[in-house]
Amino acid sequence: MTGLLELREKIKSIYSKNEVFILPVIKFLLAFWVLNVINGKLGYMTRLDNMAVVLIVALFCSFMPTGFITLFATLFSLLHMYAMSLEAALVGLVVYMLLFLLFVRLAPKDSLVVVLTPILCSYGIPYVMPIAMGLIGTPASAVSVGCGVVVYYLLQTVLVNAPTISTMGEEEITAKLRLLIDGMLDNKAMIVMIAAFAITVIVVYLIRRMSVDYSWSIAIIAGVMTNLVVLLVGDLIYDTNMSVVSAILGAVLAIVVGKIIEFFRFCVDYSRTEKVQFEDDEYYYYVKAVPKMTVAAPTKTVKKINAQRSTAAATRSPQSSARVSGQNTVDNRQSATNRRSVTTERTAPARSGVNRSQTAYNQHRDYMNNGKSITINSNNAVVDDSDDYEELF
Amino acid sequence: MLNEERIILMTKMASYEENEGKKNMAIGRFFRGDYVTIQVLKSVICATIAYVVCFALFIFYDFETFMQDIYKMDLLAFAKNVLLYYVITVVVYAVLTYIIYLYRYAKAKKSLKCYYNNLKKLSSLYNE
Repeated sequence: MTGLLELREKIKSIYSKNEVFILPVIKFLLAFWVLNVINGKLGYMTRLDNMAVVLIVALFCSFMPTGFITLFATLFSLLHMYAMSLEAALVGLVVYMLLFLLFVRLAPKDSLVVVLTPILCSYGIPYVMPIAMGLIGTPASAVSVGCGVVVYYLLQTVLVNAPTISTMGEEEITAKLRLLIDGMLDNKAMIVMIAAFAITVIVVYLIRRMSVDYSWSIAIIAGVMTNLVVLLVGDLIYDTNMSVVSAILGAVLAIVVGKIIEFFRFCVDYSRTEKVQFEDDEYYYYVKAVPKMTVAAPTKTVKKINAQRSTAAATRSPQSSARVSGQNTVDNRQSATNRRSVTTERTAPARSGVNRSQTAYNQHRDYMNNGKSITINSNNAVVDDSDDYEELF
Repeated sequence: MLNEERIILMTKMASYEENEGKKNMAIGRFFRGDYVTIQVLKSVICATIAYVVCFALFIFYDFETFMQDIYKMDLLAFAKNVLLYYVITVVVYAVLTYIIYLYRYAKAKKSLKCYYNNLKKLSSLYNE
C-alpha cells in the first residue's frame, strides 16, 4: 500500500509540476480518440475520415476548453449523417438541439460525459460511466449520462437503418424520417439503460456521501448491483436482449475503475478514525474525523559539499566530525584531498497514516520529523541537521 | 519579511478567483430575484425553441396524412391542444430551472461569503 501511495504522490507531483503541458496532451489524445471512433463507426463522409483533418481538429481542441471536443464530436457525427442522408442529419440535429436546450445547458461542465458515454457504449463498457460520475459528480450527472445514452442510440439507429435508407428514393422523405424517429422512440433498451444509469448515479452519490465507514467502496458495489438489477428487470419486462455476460464483465470493470477513482480521490484510513463530542452555547457536536492516507513522495537530493567546508571538516577531530544524515556513500578521501564530491541522499517518506519500518544504517538512525532529517548518532545525541541543508544549498 | 500566513491566504484566494470564484462573482452581482428571473426567462425561450422543433418534426413525421386531414379536423381544438402541451412543457421546465438556479444562487452566495471573510482576514493581517 505504501508503494501505491508513494506512486500516487509521485503522479500528483509530476502532474502539478507539468500541468501546462500534460493537460493539452490529454485533451489532444481524447479528441483524437473520440474523432477516430466517430470516423470509424460512421465514416460516411470521406473528406472527414482523413487522418490529417482529425489531427488538425485534435490539435485545435488541445488548446481550447473541453467543450470544444463535444462541439467537434457533434459536428463530425452530424456531417457523417448528412453524407448518409439529409433526413438522418435532420433527426440528428433535432436530437442534439433538444439535448442541448433542455439538459446539457443546465450542466455544461458535464458536456464531456455526453461524448464519453456513447464512446464507451460502442466498446460495450458503458457501466463504468454511472459509477464514475456518481463518485466524482453530483446527482445532476445522471442527466448528462442519460443524454450520452440517447446520443449512442441515435448513432446506433442511424447505423442500423443506413442500408434501408440508402435503398429508398429521394422522394420518400417522410418515410425516412418515420423510420429513424420510430427507431429511436420504440427503442426500449434505450429507456431501460437511461433509467438504470440515472438510478445508479443517484445511488452511488447518496451512499458515498454517507458517514459510514468504507462508504465509497459500499457505494461502488451498491451502484454496480443496482445497475445490474435494473438492467435485468428491464430486460425481463421489455425483452431488450441484454447480454448478461457483457453486463457482468462491465460491472467488474466498473468496480476496478471505481476503486482507482477512490484511491485518487478518497483514500482514508478508517482504522485511525476519531470520534469526538463537544458542545458550545447553541449546539452539541458529534464529530467523526477520518485521517487521509498520505506519504511524502521520496525525493533524491544532490548534496554538494564545498571545498571550504571539507577543509574545515578535515581539521576537526575524528569524534566531532558527524556523518551527514542519510548519506549512502561517504567518500573518505575527500577530506584529505580537499576535492568536491557529490553524494546522493534518498529521503524516506514522512510517517503519516502508514507504518514504515525504520531504516538503520549501522549506529546512525534517521527519523523523519516534518520532512526534516534528524540524525541520532552513536552516543544518542539528537542532531537536527536541517540547518546544514540551508547552508549547503 | 515574508508573512507565510498571508501568502497562503492570498494564494488560496487567487486560485478561487481564477476558477470557481469567476462564476460565483458573476452570480453575486445580481439580486436573487433578478438572477433567478433571468435564468427562468432563458429557460422559457429554450423550452419554446425545443417545443417548436419537436412540433415541426411531428408535422413532418406524418406530413401527408396531416395535409389530407387539415380541412376535416377541428383546427381550433387542435391549436388548443398544441397550446396546452406547450404551456405544460414550459411550466414544468421553468419550475425545474427555478429550483436549480435558486440552489445555485444560494451556493454561490455562501461561497462568496467565505471569500469576503478571507478578504477581511487578509486586510487585518496587513493592519497588524
